[in-house]
Amino acid sequence: MSRLYDTVEPAVVDDEMLKKAVEEQGPKDEAGRIAKQEGIDYWDVLSLRLDFRNILKIDNLWQFKELTKLQLDNNIIEKIEGLDALVNLRWLDLSFNNIEVIEGLNHLSKLEDLTLFNNRISRLENMDSLSALHVLSLGNNKVNQLDNLIYLRRFQNLRTLNLSGNPVCEDPGYKLFTVAYLSHLVYLDFRLIDEETRQKAHSLYENKLGELMHNEQQARSALLEEKRKAKELESHKATYVEFLNGPNLFDAMYKEDPEGNKLSMLPGIQDILKEFREKFVDFCYKIFEYGTKEYDRRSHEVKEFNTCMDDAKHENKKMATEHIDKFENYKKKLFSELLTSNDPDIQEQKVSEYNSEVSQLWDTVMGFEMQLVDQLEETIKDFERNLTDMMSQFVEHVQGLISQLRDLENVHNEKLLEMCMLVLEKVVKNEMSEELPEDLRMLFVDKDTIVNAIGASHDVHLVKIDNREDEIVTRSSGWISSLMQSIHRAECLRNRQRVIEISNFVEHLRDEIDSFDLSEVVRA
Amino acid sequence: MDIIPEDGLEETQEEVKDLEEKLNGIQLETISVTVIKQPAIDKPDFSEYPESYKENTNKEKLILAYAENFRRQYVHLFRDRKPLFLNPLNECGIEKFVCTTLRPTLLPFKELYHWLGCAEFVSDYITMDQLDPPAELPLQLHSPSTILERQLGNCFDFSNILCSLLLGAGYDAYVVSGYATKEVCLSDESRDICPLLNTKPEVKKEEDKKAAGKYSVKPPRDLRSKFIIKMEARRKKEEEDQKDKERMEEEARVAELEKPPPDLLYGLRIHSWVLIRGGKREVPEDFFIEPFTGRSYSPQNQSFLGIESIWNHNNYWANMQDCSNGCKDMSFDLNDTTKWEYMLVGADRSTLDIPNVEEELYDLEDDEKDNEDDKHLDMPAPWVRPINVTEKQNETRCPSGKKTILYKKAKLEKYSNYLMKDGLVKRLSVYENNELTTLKKVQEWFGNREDKLTMRLHEGGVVTEDFVEGRQRSLKQHVYKANFPGSETDRTMTFYDNARVDGLSKRDESAIEMTEHFINRDDFLYYRHVLFDKRQKKVAPATAEGLPRPILKITEKFHRNKELPANDDIAEQMFILSEDKVQITYHREDANISASTRDFFKPPNAEEKGGNLQWAPDMTSTFQVNQHKLPTKNLTVYEDLIRLIQVEQSSIQAVRNSEEEVREILADRQKEEIASELAISVYDTERNEKAKKHRKELERLAMEEKLRRQEMEMDYLAPFLAQIGNPEKISRNQAFKLKEDCLSDLKQRLIDKANLIQLRFERETSELHKKQLEYQQKQVVMTKEDEEQYFNYCSEAMFRIHILELRLNRHKQMAPHKYMQLEQKLRQDPRLSVYF
Repeated sequence: MSRLYDTVEPAVVDDEMLKKAVEEQGPKDEAGRIAKQEGIDYWDVLSLRLDFRNILKIDNLWQFKELTKLQLDNNIIEKIEGLDALVNLRWLDLSFNNIEVIEGLNHLSKLEDLTLFNNRISRLENMDSLSALHVLSLGNNKVNQLDNLIYLRRFQNLRTLNLSGNPVCEDPGYKLFTVAYLSHLVYLDFRLIDEETRQKAHSLYENKLGELMHNEQQARSALLEEKRKAKELESHKATYVEFLNGPNLFDAMYKEDPEGNKLSMLPGIQDILKEFREKFVDFCYKIFEYGTKEYDRRSHEVKEFNTCMDDAKHENKKMATEHIDKFENYKKKLFSELLTSNDPDIQEQKVSEYNSEVSQLWDTVMGFEMQLVDQLEETIKDFERNLTDMMSQFVEHVQGLISQLRDLENVHNEKLLEMCMLVLEKVVKNEMSEELPEDLRMLFVDKDTIVNAIGASHDVHLVKIDNREDEIVTRSSGWISSLMQSIHRAECLRNRQRVIEISNFVEHLRDEIDSFDLSEVVRA
Repeated sequence: MDIIPEDGLEETQEEVKDLEEKLNGIQLETISVTVIKQPAIDKPDFSEYPESYKENTNKEKLILAYAENFRRQYVHLFRDRKPLFLNPLNECGIEKFVCTTLRPTLLPFKELYHWLGCAEFVSDYITMDQLDPPAELPLQLHSPSTILERQLGNCFDFSNILCSLLLGAGYDAYVVSGYATKEVCLSDESRDICPLLNTKPEVKKEEDKKAAGKYSVKPPRDLRSKFIIKMEARRKKEEEDQKDKERMEEEARVAELEKPPPDLLYGLRIHSWVLIRGGKREVPEDFFIEPFTGRSYSPQNQSFLGIESIWNHNNYWANMQDCSNGCKDMSFDLNDTTKWEYMLVGADRSTLDIPNVEEELYDLEDDEKDNEDDKHLDMPAPWVRPINVTEKQNETRCPSGKKTILYKKAKLEKYSNYLMKDGLVKRLSVYENNELTTLKKVQEWFGNREDKLTMRLHEGGVVTEDFVEGRQRSLKQHVYKANFPGSETDRTMTFYDNARVDGLSKRDESAIEMTEHFINRDDFLYYRHVLFDKRQKKVAPATAEGLPRPILKITEKFHRNKELPANDDIAEQMFILSEDKVQITYHREDANISASTRDFFKPPNAEEKGGNLQWAPDMTSTFQVNQHKLPTKNLTVYEDLIRLIQVEQSSIQAVRNSEEEVREILADRQKEEIASELAISVYDTERNEKAKKHRKELERLAMEEKLRRQEMEMDYLAPFLAQIGNPEKISRNQAFKLKEDCLSDLKQRLIDKANLIQLRFERETSELHKKQLEYQQKQVVMTKEDEEQYFNYCSEAMFRIHILELRLNRHKQMAPHKYMQLEQKLRQDPRLSVYF
């Protein structure tokens, strides 16, 4: 209606408007009075209605973090924006606006009900993250592509769809197409989809649908596979021996080694290289296996440590709560006695008794805490020692294995050298039967060149191996220190919180008796 | 009507005349009748027994010869041992071998598939009869069917039946002939503790403590003196030892006092019981069943003093082991020939042989071998009639349905189902003393009650009633004081919580308290405690009864609701109605040891104001564990208060409902106790009146239908056709003969009937005559009553005579018609009509 008059001035979502709306829609009566007095925080509001306000631009809503329902219908909004902070939104009404493109909804992953009725939307898009979508209303829009509806297949929970009043509805096959492709739908354009239509649609589009489903299935499984691989790598990384269950290190060695690659062209070297590679990979695999085994041991150790810590804490908490419960009972009894007695002397005596009880409670509970701190400290020390031992053992073993790798490399290097010498001799004497590639031939100019080349290749290999070793050592020691640090920090925090809690609680108990007495006096 | 041929007509007319004459010849005269009374026969009548009872087959004779041979060898070898129980006489006085008296039978009752059920059935069903003299073998052994009929038998009869049932159920069972103590032989259980009382102390399952992990924290150092602890422990131990000793002495003293007087015939009393060997039917090891009581004993038991022989339906074994120590050290490995001497060679199949896979491969070859092996004499088939127990017999059990057993300080009474009006099936009375005079507790079991009561226990003024599932309010157990059955007194009700909407599992009550426990509620409530005030005394006592007790305090406890943060999740709410105060305690956070609390002080009559309650900051006081958190907003607190006011009302309502429910349950119970109706299953065809009626009706209809059909199909010519051998075609002569026969037969029958009527008439008249004479003689001395009786009789007799007269006349009239009718029919009969 507002659109009929061009004179209407667009409104802006400002603090005043929001405040008014919140107050209007908030609690009533006495509660409303209190709320007004106290002020309502925007982050407490769960539902907000901003309809018929001539709003042009959605703005200033970032404070409404808990909002689950937002009505912005019957405005003149042209662009969906400014909703990124409302991550808890479940119900969004944007009907009767001037929106042309679906956008800006990517953060609303909890959205279940989306209404875009009577807008100017011509394409279904940009809704990939709305996985919970249940109801979608897109009536009276400009959607005109039948194929575009396939986009809605990704919403597994979509049950209700309204597209009536769109150009696409003119298409004779619209209904059957929609029913066939969106098989989860229950209601389409305000009507329940009956079984007959469903069957008809299914038989009509069976072939196309089958193909589509097949493709989707493949895409899904590919995605899953990728995820699985990423996860596996993640878990391997925790063992510090990732990629060692294959020829990865070996390949990396030769990757940055131009001379080595050139030399591998030498006739007769293939066999040596192959043997070397096999042995190398074999050793790598050994390291990998050992690494995973050690990792299992370590994680088991950590798990055991954690359960024991939790048990100890739990046990301690139980003891403390028992004492506190006992005290609470005592307190109740004492207070009721205080109420009944009128003798100030007895009251005095009771109060002092109470106070001494409170101090005693403080002593006990603090004692428990001290005891726990001692126990945990000792255990943590034990754990650290064991873990360090375990880790150094692991590192030593891995280093041993890696030095074997190095030996392999050395042996291979010697063999290579020997062979190259032979080839060099032949080249010098011009007895070479086969043709060597040009760049390889360049190496066999004289002895120094070839020896240098081989040495360079060897150095590259050794550096690679050394790097790998260093990586393992630094990462493992880093892990230990960070783990221990976090444990210490958590324990420290726990202790502080507990101590604060205890003193807080005791203070409260003392306050209670004081205020109690006060009220007695007042009553008297 | 067809045209009747002339000659036939004439003939018929003649016959009719003849019939009429004959009928007229029958005149009503008085005849005196003398009754000959048959003298009662005193001789036992064996006619009811089948042949097998009265004579032996050749095979049986052969086996008896074997037995005789076995006996002779046995007597020869063991001159000082008692004779074996081999071939007693049966009820017809015929010698029968004991093994053939066993007849393995599986009765169609579920409970009789287990040895416990069998033993209980036998001990209940048959009344025991002791051996006389007790140290000698009985001369007779009756067949099981006879014993079941008589419901009376001695120990051998008992064992015989029990063993038959057990063998039928697949147990490896044997009848044992041996020696036992006097108590066992006489089934005297008054020195035994009742098995129902002998409940094993429940073994507390120790929660398997978590194995101390590698990093379990070390316990805090114990700073107490080791020495003092040690001394303390020693002192305690000494005390306990002392106590133990005293107790032992006391027990020994009591045992001495309760010892049975020495028995002169100790070790000589013959008894028979049943041995079940382990291996079959998942029986782990050998044990005895004492058939009189139906209880099982281990072979180590002191009551069984020795064994002479054992047998089953296949073989007979004499014991070769020394029994001077009782049955304690006996081995029941029957294949060991040094310990057991068998009678038949090849018959032993007692060991459970598990078929070997390899053996099965050669099974075919083995079969032939087996056959060769089997040429030994095997046991003849049992001579006894099959054991038959009807549904009713199984249910009634004990003769007349009742049985009483005396135990040590206890008495057990058993009744069969539906015998007692209140459904009582078992009653156990436990007494303080051995003389059974001061009652300690009474436990009663019920069956098939409409109100689902299964057990009631009276002990120390407290009554406990157990119910099975299916009652209206899902009551499971009700404990109350016998003297205060009314409401608002001490009682505990347990419920089937899963059958109740509110998940109530238990409700404890006393005069001023009520505690309810709940399980699995959606609102996490698990405990509600109500404190009542004394009812205020009103001026008008009539209305006081209807006035509810004022509530002082309601405490409700909740489980943790994981969806809320612990600090906002109420753990306990206490409505102190007397002070208009509500105390809330929240759950503890995982890391915390103290819990947040909040107290509300309601303005008076807050519940009436509803949403218009004026808010004041002093209406609440709060303790927050976590100080860093922002204080809760007033609005939230206010809303909480409003909510709590409503919750309080609903809690009060819930309490009132509970009280009402208790009253209703009590009223229901009272009604049920008075009615004490028994439920009858729809499947119980005997007792379910409606079903029975229906069934009878159906049967009757079926019978009527059958009769009708029979009548329809009845062929008046059939007997006569049969006489001439049912020829395919009937010749002319035969046809005439048939017709004649048929008609003459009818004639005879009609005459007979007339004669019969006449006979009755005469009897009546003679009777009347006699009475008249008698009356005339005694008329003077007769009382008025007798006179009246006489007159009554006279009028009745006159009436009967008149009727008979009428009937005879009518018969005379009708008979010719009937005759003519048949004649007509015969003429039209398709088989004969060709010739007429």
